Formats: sequence, structure tokens, C-alpha cells
Amino acid sequence: MKRYSNSTEVDFLIIGAGAAGGIMAKQLSTAGFSVVVLEQGGWGKYGREHEYNKDEWLNRNLSDDDRLMSDPARQRNTFRPNDKVKAVPGNHSYGCVVGGGTVTYGGSNWRHLPYEFREASHDPTIPSGTGMADWPVTYEELEPYYTQAEWETGVSGVRVDSPFVAPMSKDYPVPPMPLKSSGALMKTAAAKMGLTVVPGPLAIISQPYMGREACVNCGICSGYGCQVRARSSSAVTMFPIAEKTGRCEIRVKSYVREITLDNNGRVNGVVYFDAQKRELRQKAKSVILSANAGESARLLLLSKSSRFPDGLANSSGLVGKYVMFGNGAGASALFEHPLNEYKGVISGAGIVDFVPSDPKRGFYGGGRMTARGYLTPFELGLGGLSPGTPRWGAGYKKALQEEANHRMTISCFVTQLPLETNRIDLDPDVKDEWGLPAMRITSSAHPDDIKNMEFFRKKSIEILEAAGAKKIWAPPVSESRNGAHNRGTCRMGNDPKKSVVDKYHKAHDVPNLFIVDGSSFVTGGRNHPTLTIEALAFRAAEHIVKNAKSGTLVTKA
Amino acid sequence: MSAKRRSRRSFLVESFTGLNAAWVAANYPGILAAQNYVRKATDAGQTPRLAVLNEAQAVEIEAMTAQIIPSDSTPGAREAHCVYFIDRALATFSKDKQPAYMQGLQDLQAKALQLYPGVGKFSALTPEQQIKTLTEIEKTPFFEMVRTHTIIGFLSRPEHGGNSNKVGWKLIGYDDSLNHKPPFGYYDAQA
Repeated sequence: MKRYSNSTEVDFLIIGAGAAGGIMAKQLSTAGFSVVVLEQGGWGKYGREHEYNKDEWLNRNLSDDDRLMSDPARQRNTFRPNDKVKAVPGNHSYGCVVGGGTVTYGGSNWRHLPYEFREASHDPTIPSGTGMADWPVTYEELEPYYTQAEWETGVSGVRVDSPFVAPMSKDYPVPPMPLKSSGALMKTAAAKMGLTVVPGPLAIISQPYMGREACVNCGICSGYGCQVRARSSSAVTMFPIAEKTGRCEIRVKSYVREITLDNNGRVNGVVYFDAQKRELRQKAKSVILSANAGESARLLLLSKSSRFPDGLANSSGLVGKYVMFGNGAGASALFEHPLNEYKGVISGAGIVDFVPSDPKRGFYGGGRMTARGYLTPFELGLGGLSPGTPRWGAGYKKALQEEANHRMTISCFVTQLPLETNRIDLDPDVKDEWGLPAMRITSSAHPDDIKNMEFFRKKSIEILEAAGAKKIWAPPVSESRNGAHNRGTCRMGNDPKKSVVDKYHKAHDVPNLFIVDGSSFVTGGRNHPTLTIEALAFRAAEHIVKNAKSGTLVTKA
Repeated sequence: MSAKRRSRRSFLVESFTGLNAAWVAANYPGILAAQNYVRKATDAGQTPRLAVLNEAQAVEIEAMTAQIIPSDSTPGAREAHCVYFIDRALATFSKDKQPAYMQGLQDLQAKALQLYPGVGKFSALTPEQQIKTLTEIEKTPFFEMVRTHTIIGFLSRPEHGGNSNKVGWKLIGYDDSLNHKPPFGYYDAQA
């Protein structure tokens, strides 16, 4: 792999090797630019994916080198529901490895629907006083990049013609993953209720594609690296191509603590800690921040200067604000015959009829209902049995045996209203392992979000009843307080007073700083952010390459 | 040394004596194989399989695990060798839990004595008495920890010491081939 010295001024420095970072690295390096990617996590099993473990006990006890997610004991964070109370230690965690969250995620890859980019001006159900705003890009503008993301990463699915699914200009590159019993039961219910079931589009390939093997339905999936490279993470799709150009260096265990500015208000590099916590500098002509919504916002807030006393690129005061973590709701059920949901991918078919918000429901909100049931042996044994079963003894054992392969879950991925009061900032007291102010999360769901979750909880029960369940249970709804679906902290927009980046992800305040990840989201869609992050990244990369080549951004090395 | 080996073997062999007779009859060849395996391992002078717990402690912990996942018409925690999983966990990933186990064992003993004066040990109680004793402590962190370790030991890969002969996976119908082809279940096969 190409190595650059710290004093070499590379064309682009990318912070974060996740979904967006991988696309930026590949697109910029193949276009001829010199690129350094700084990733705070390690390599994982990059290039030797067959070594990923499928061992639940080992996975709960990973060494720092083998961790694939951040560790709330090191990447400390705190949480408070509102400004009136003091934040307490939180357990926010996200992908922290080359490939980021795409190394371990379930792989759901839904597109946003066209109207999700302009809900604020078109949806009469939106309550007043929220941060809902139209995106500065339309679905039509983004559509080619959705297609590009699906074909360059590898997404399984089938194109359907439905008002509840985004229209596509091209089929998926590979067919959908096989129907599971949970999906078959969902179809039974949907047929009775007149609802639409669609196979879930997944970044897990159902057939060999671009030199990678098809999924073998091993079932130890979400939360684990993929041994057969079927999950289309940026670690197997983007970074290998970037590396092969000889122009891209991926530098792991590199924890960035500040993006630095020159006297002209342009960024000129970063200060970071290496694995031994030595402080180093890397010079760059331009910086791409792709650290995920939480960490990108935090790094900007940490990068204070006389020009930006409230944090880099934060003249609007909006950096960190409007954070959305993604709410959910659902229900589980037991059926007479075995489903064996532990086989195969975690997320199967989806009911999509309730994606749009409906004035008849009396609140703003929509969502997608997905058929799941995935429980690993530990999850089943430790907490997966139906309510009312004994926790130990003969009754426990009997339930363990009887319920094991007979259950499914409907997991709904639903809207979350962006609120200015929900935000990421710096904790005044708690420091992370590097001695920097910890991330503080302040978040409370809007009342409509709670009503919406309750709607989906009840709808899940109805569907399971229609599917013929023997026993159904649904936990009370609760809002998300953290998690890897975080987005919205550096929203894009045309007005520098009301947004942090422009429609091409350039910081309004800094001409050579680009923020490309889930932080750009104006609204949360129906959760499932990854494919939209990827489409936005391909689009941003194209624009940056064009400008850089014409000399308006950086001079080619 | 040889005395120690013998007693360790007898502990393992005794592990099989708490079984329901019907299960023993149905699984006799398997038990013989397991006993034979233990015998061979011990006679070959391999490193003792207990690393942290002494035998007396292992007997008490095993008695606990055997009430958490009892043996009836199918194997339970005892046949899954959950106590060996726990011992290995205490030597490795859960080293920090050693003091809690030692203290918890003392508390268990005290509780058993309080409820059934005159009986020396928890493991010497009748099954009904053991259940009564554990019900008294089931809200304690110690019980929760042993429950968690027992279940994990029952359902984790056999190389960690438990789930011997994959009896845990067999109970829940889990096929560990990590390679499956549709149809996966009844309903997708019907679709």
C-alpha cells in the first residue's frame, strides 16, 4: 500500500473509513488524486475475511484489535433527555473498523422515496415547531447515484412498481435473497389485509458478483464480519479498489482530534493520535469528514479557532443539532410449525403500505415493517423467550425447546422528526480515553413520534394475528437514544444560516472542507440510512472530482 | 498426583449419576463414550480441566447449573458440562468475576444452611430443596451471573468447554453448519 509522510500535503484527507469514506476514497483515488484515510478503528479482517469469527462467546469478548464497533468505555459518551438534567454515561456505539458499520450491519438498503426529500413543503401532517425542511436535492437528482451505489457495492433485490417504493431506472444487480418463513407468514397476512409485501433490498449478494461469493445463509450475520465476503461492505467493495490505485493510504488506529485551519480560513490538515497516542499532524489540501453523524459533529465542535470559536464550520450554530437516531416498534409471535429463522439474513420481506404519513391517523409519521426473527442461540436463551415463561428450571428448559424455532418478529423502521433541541455536543465534564470532551447526546422524541411508534406496534400485532400466530407479544414502545443509525447533525441546505453544508456537501463556511456521511440528512426518511449515505457520497465525489480537476478546489498532485 | 487424577475423574463420572433413568437408558452408548473420553484424557495426564474452581466448588456450581437447566428426558446443563465452561470463563474472559463467584458460593452455602440446618452443602440437598434455595436467591446478582454463564455455556461452541456433544444446540434445534439452503422452515417451504 502507498504510504505518505505526515509532511506530504496530500490532495484529500478522509476522516473515517465507513460507508461514505470508502466511496470517497475509491472515487478520488481512481480519479488520480492522492488520498490518506484516517480510521480510528483497526483493520478488522480486511483482506482475510474468512478469519472473521462466528463464535458468539468470542464475539462478546473481543480484544481491542478484533473489535468492530466502538467501545463506550473508550469512546465515552453521555446521554440526557433534555437540557434540564445532567447527562449520565451512555452506551452509544457505531462501526469502528475499516468498512465502518457496513462490516457488521444487517444490510438493509432501501432507497428514500421521492417525496421524502420534500415532505416539509408537501406533507400537511407535519406538526409546527419541528426542524422538518425540504432537502436541497431531489430524488430525481439523486436517482442515478442510488443506481450507482446499488451496482458498485452489490445489492440484492427486485424492482417493484408501487407507490410505496422508490422508482428505479435500473434493476438490482442480483436477485433478492430467498424468502424466509417470516416473510411467507407476512405474505399470508398481507393477502388477507390487502397489503403490499416486497423482498427487502439487502447489501448482501444472493449470487456471485464482482468476484465475491454469494451468501451461504450462515445465520450468524448482523454484528459479525462476513466470512464469505457476501456482505457488500466498503471494506470488500471500495477500499480494495482505492488501495490498488497506489494513491490511497488507509491509516488505522488514527484518532483525529482536530481539523486545523490556515490564515485564509481554509483547512490544511488534521492533528491525530496514533495507536500509541502520540500526537501527529497530517497535511492535506482538502479534508473530507466522514466520521458518522455523531463523531463528525463532535470533531467540528472540538476544532475551535479564533475564526470559529464555536467549532469549525459552525457559523450557523447548527453543528450537532437535529440529530436523529431512528425509532422502531414491533411485535413478536410464536407459530405452530418451525420457521428456523436463525438461518439466513436477518431482515427479510417488508410491508410498505404505511411508509407515507396519513392525515387520517391524526399525527405525522410513517415507516416500513420488516419480517425478522433472527435470534442467535445466546439471544434466545438469555432473553428471547415469550413473556411469562420461567427464567430457569424445568419450565424454562421446556420453553427453550418449544419456542426456539417457532418465533418471528416484525421490526418497524419509522420516521423521527428532526428537532433543534435534539443534539450532539461536548460533555463539560466527561472525557474520552484520549482526554477529549466526550460526546453528549441530548434527545427526546416528539409526541408524534411516540404516537407513530404506537401505531406500528399495534399494526404489527394485527399482522401477526392475521398470519395465524399462536401467541403474540409486543413490548411498550420506547424511543432510541443512540446508535449507529445516527444522522442529521450537519444538515445540508442552500441557506448558510439554516444549514451546515451545501447540496454538494461543502461546508458553507470553509471552501475545502466536505462533510459526507449521515450528518448531511435533512430528514430521517424511514430510517435505513446507508444506501442514501452511499448515493450522496457518489454524487459528492463526482462533483468534487470535477471541480478539483478544473482547478477550483485543489491542484492535482 | 494419581490420587488427584482419580478424584477428578470420579467427579466427572459422578456428573452422570444425577440423570433421569429413562434418559440414561436412551443415551447409554453416548455416556459410555463420554466417560471413556474423560478416562482417556485423565489417564493421559493432560492438564487438569478445572483451572479456577476446586473440585468442591465445581460440585456446588454444577449443582446450581443443573437446576437452571435440569436434565430430564433430554440432557441439561450437567451433561453439557456447563461447569467446565464456567471454569474456563473464570480463567479467561470473565477473570474479573472470580471474587463474585467465591463470595456467591459462600452466600449460597449460608442460605442452604439457614434453610436446611444440618445439611452440609447445597449440592447435598434434595432437588426440591435446591430449587427452594435458588428461588430464595434468584434476584441476586450472583444467581443472575451463574444463570447467564450456564445458558451461554449450554449454547456456545463446544470448544469453550460447555455444550458438550452439542446437547444445547440439539435441544433448540440449532444446526451449526453455518451453511443453509432454502427452504429454511415450514412456511417458506409451503409458499
